[in-house]
Amino acid sequence: MNRWNLPDLGIGVGLRTVHFGHILSRRPAVDWFEVLSENFMDTGGHPLWVLDQVTERYPIALHGVSMSIGGTDPLDREYLRKLKALAARTRAHWVSDHLCWTGVAGRNVHDLLPMPYNEEALRHTAARVRQVSEILERPLVLENPSSYVEFASSTLTEWEFLSRLGQEADCGLLLDVNNVYVSSFNHGFDPRVYIDSVPADRVVQYHVAGHTNKGTHILDSHSDHAVAEVWELFRRSCRRTGNVSTLYEWDEDIPDFDVLHAEALKARAYREEPARPPARVARGA
Amino acid sequence: MALEPPLSRVQRWMQEVVVHPGSIDEALASKAARAEVPPERLGDVVLPSRTLAPAQRVEIYQRMYLLRMEEALGIDYPALARFLGPRGFRDLVRDYVASFPSRSYTLNRLGDHLPAFVLTAGGLRHRGFCHDLARLELAMTEVFDETETPSLSAEAVAAVPAEAWAAARLRPIAAFRLLALRYPANAYVQSIRGRGHRHPRPRRKDGWLAVYRRNYSVRRLELSLPAYRLLSELVAGAPLGPAVAAAARRRPGSGAGPTQLYRWFRGWMAKGLFMGLEGLEPSTNRL
Repeated sequence: MNRWNLPDLGIGVGLRTVHFGHILSRRPAVDWFEVLSENFMDTGGHPLWVLDQVTERYPIALHGVSMSIGGTDPLDREYLRKLKALAARTRAHWVSDHLCWTGVAGRNVHDLLPMPYNEEALRHTAARVRQVSEILERPLVLENPSSYVEFASSTLTEWEFLSRLGQEADCGLLLDVNNVYVSSFNHGFDPRVYIDSVPADRVVQYHVAGHTNKGTHILDSHSDHAVAEVWELFRRSCRRTGNVSTLYEWDEDIPDFDVLHAEALKARAYREEPARPPARVARGA
Repeated sequence: MALEPPLSRVQRWMQEVVVHPGSIDEALASKAARAEVPPERLGDVVLPSRTLAPAQRVEIYQRMYLLRMEEALGIDYPALARFLGPRGFRDLVRDYVASFPSRSYTLNRLGDHLPAFVLTAGGLRHRGFCHDLARLELAMTEVFDETETPSLSAEAVAAVPAEAWAAARLRPIAAFRLLALRYPANAYVQSIRGRGHRHPRPRRKDGWLAVYRRNYSVRRLELSLPAYRLLSELVAGAPLGPAVAAAARRRPGSGAGPTQLYRWFRGWMAKGLFMGLEGLEPSTNRL
């Protein structure tokens, strides 16, 4: 169990527009849905109506892409106000975003841009995480990004940065095992070391997804089935964390709902092994 | 000596490179990027991988930027994208986001300035038609996202005493827009939604349209000019009596007689275009 006792919601999928009709009419036996926050913060139409219906029937977690927690522009207070309101409306179990920045000088490039991992970035990001957690009145959960660039000014590995950030800002971790795999290929590190090093008691959710191997690098495309290596990383991590809420991401060439759900349910085979107690992890390690 | 720019500078530099519409070399050498990190010092900021040079690694983000903008605007402007074709739309998006980059946490509002931009965009053929297409598609996305407001019920309408109607002001639902078009944009939008429909030619043809939402579905209602004028006045807050009288006077013999006016009014009510009545006597104002 994580340090906040946030529940294991089981195996979920992302709530996507193309599946609205299926979800409302068939009421599939999905454990929970992850909702992209920004898709519902500024609409009063059909999407919000659907979300209200889904909220009545399924547990929800919010997942955002525009907080820009590592950005050097001031935090967007209006965004955070709307995010908090949406979390209340959906009774979200937690609110997550990404360890990244999305734009500066008032712009948003709508991408999860990479951070240098050094003391300056750590101090800066930790201060913002604390502010956001205070505004949202709940611990912020951050996802490890996939990335294609490494900065020369980095003095920490990504897993060291995440561990230190957890210690200094008391945030949760949404561990995307596909992102670990993608970045390990792109940057040439051992993904098992990453998996074995993140603070297990801060992991409150997993992401599993497919990617696109371009030969010279891997793109985090969320467009396919997950490869065996990613599932194995998931298994390896579950041994450390115990069973944690798991979500399968599929955002390009989205298949029929049943195909998506079947892919997500593969997680059962990897996480429902004989129960082992989570590894003892020093607080903040 | 190693270049270790502060976080804010790294981010300004990377953004300038990522949003640059040219090649990666042009982006790295652009004035704005160069001001933060000289291109010859790139290797001091970004490390190579086993397979990619620093510039190639940054290029991955740069290539995805315009693709993402094109995808987002293509969702909001499918008819305009179809009319311009892939290359024409891509060029328009590239120029548009250079002038109107996203400044919001949501992509939903990225295209808000596109109709106005179309009026001045370079190299655009059939500019007037494109402008009308963009205006219509923007109205449709706005109506899609508007706050849900309940429509005036039949019971509420029936409860209004006959003598109170002349002073009544009708308040439209939030999800409602009126458009006067100079080209057959609505027919074009319709043509791309059904298979085998022929696209209308982009020739001048005046038309009037109400875009509204009913049961969370965006709908388009074609109007005659007299109906458009009357609806415009009502939406602007004119009392019903004077607005109707003006419509009847405007073009005698145009069909805007009492019977036609009643039909329009009844149709608009049935479609749920109005959410409230104002200007009634206190005894009837609790509807």
